Amino acid sequence: MTVDILFFGKVADKAGIRQLKMELSDTGGSLLALRDKALGTVFAAGGLDATQVQMSVNQVRVTGDMPLSDGDEVAFFSAFSGG
Amino acid sequence: MAAIETLLLQEALDGQALYARFIAANRLSGALVSFSGRVRDTSATGAVSHLYLDWYPGMTERSLADIAAAAADRFEVEALLVAHRCGEVRAGEEIVFVAAASAHRRAAFEAADYLMDRLKSEAALWKREVGTTLEGGGFDDWIEPTQKDSADLKRWNP
Repeated sequence: MTVDILFFGKVADKAGIRQLKMELSDTGGSLLALRDKALGTVFAAGGLDATQVQMSVNQVRVTGDMPLSDGDEVAFFSAFSGG
Repeated sequence: MAAIETLLLQEALDGQALYARFIAANRLSGALVSFSGRVRDTSATGAVSHLYLDWYPGMTERSLADIAAAAADRFEVEALLVAHRCGEVRAGEEIVFVAAASAHRRAAFEAADYLMDRLKSEAALWKREVGTTLEGGGFDDWIEPTQKDSADLKRWNP
């Protein structure tokens, strides 16, 4: 029962990693709990705050909280900038 | 139903070749418009050697397709082409190319304009600018959407 976590853009830079896998039971069960947990550990060294971090679950952008399930792919990233 | 093609390219983007193909595929359209965006060799920080565009395989391609589909819904176009680079893009290279075909000019102009405004801040890409400052040091900065980019986007949803 795991969740795959990916990092992109400035968030990946600050986190110093591109991906990690966590036990679902360690994520706190919801997206925001996972974000806060990740911010408290992985992001702490990069000095990121939660308001800078955008999120997706299974490649769909999410702005609020939602429960996480086994096999979910969660991503944390900075604001998009293309073109 | 508009013909839509979207491309995410790690290799060189040849807008001229894409446009030649687009013209051939839309010979009977009354109006064709294209836009080519290139990496400038200078920025406010100094001399730019290249950009690096981080991308999320799957989500990035879908964001390009979603933006193109929204343009096709909104404007009376017959065909749209969107091509965007990812990875390392050197100064002088094309980073983005869009083309629109319609019966009359206004829809094609507006669709191309709309596509670019949305790509700037809603394509799932993260842009880093790398180069040399005027003092000779290196820089490597993530580029966030500007207020201008936000204002450009708001034009379509006032």
